[in-house]
Amino acid sequence: MIPPDDFKTRLKIAKSKIKKQILSDGEKRSAFMGSAFKLGTELVASVVVGTIIGFILDSWFDTKPWLIIIFFFLGAAAGMLNVIRAANRMQKEN
Amino acid sequence: MATNPMQQFSVHKIGPEIKIAGIDLSFTNASLFMVISAASIALFLFLGTKEKRIIPDKIQLISEMLYSFVAKMISDTAGSKAKPYFPFIFSLFMFVLLCNMIGMLPYAFTVTSHIIVTLILALFIFIAVTVIGFMKHGFKYLSIFVPSGVPKVLLPLITVIEIISYLSRPVSLSVRLFANMMAGHTMLKVFGGFVISLGILGGWLPLGFSVALTGLEILVAFLQAYVFAILTCIYLNDALNLHH
Repeated sequence: MIPPDDFKTRLKIAKSKIKKQILSDGEKRSAFMGSAFKLGTELVASVVVGTIIGFILDSWFDTKPWLIIIFFFLGAAAGMLNVIRAANRMQKEN
Repeated sequence: MATNPMQQFSVHKIGPEIKIAGIDLSFTNASLFMVISAASIALFLFLGTKEKRIIPDKIQLISEMLYSFVAKMISDTAGSKAKPYFPFIFSLFMFVLLCNMIGMLPYAFTVTSHIIVTLILALFIFIAVTVIGFMKHGFKYLSIFVPSGVPKVLLPLITVIEIISYLSRPVSLSVRLFANMMAGHTMLKVFGGFVISLGILGGWLPLGFSVALTGLEILVAFLQAYVFAILTCIYLNDALNLHH
């Protein structure tokens, strides 16, 4: 005969296994949605940061409007880099 | 009744005005709801861990699930080296989650729909991760700006792009959370306004939309907390495991 305590622990282990299965399914789905939301802001944020850096450097060196233009494009490049990286990360996860 | 959909975001003082060294530190409705979220997390986890039963009751089960959810997220994305940072990421996740969820209650104020709150959270993470990176690797941490296998001619350009991409982290982190929360709540209010203005004849369609949007908003509230926490883990991973 199995003592009741042993049965309790085994029940808990079995239940936790089922719980994990459900959790990992839900996790996967929410991870997909999360990454979909992520890509948009990733692209925009870099452009904004690049433009702000360009603006600050412009007022430091008195080179209006050149640095802001250059850094706008650098920011766009950084945004694309970020999106590509995020997409790569997503593919690796799957 | 407030008809302006943006009025729900207005911050106003509660109680006396407190000024310390010229800085307005008065207690506002935003601070009230932050205190409510923090207090409810503490109370919930206290109740959840008070009795350590072998067969957990509901509240213990939920706290254990939250714990293992965050623990798994950290070990999956940042590896075992990130274990010491579990308390921080867990508190961060719970705080953002509770702020978002409490904001879904009627008449509640959504703290995370203000960019200053999310920006401070994101800047704190950004500075902490940078400090951790420098502490673990010294000046070798700067090598994350110099990817390997790039031709020498392109190196200055790539380095500048990498620096911009690194600096954009707190911006994208904070704007994502703030924009999602603000857009969702504004939309709910706009549809609510439609229900009132179309009256009993035409108001049923926007009412249905409102119900559907509320469900979506609860999903978004959870998702944004999750994304916020997982991105913190990813940034932490970059700082802890330097691989370039």
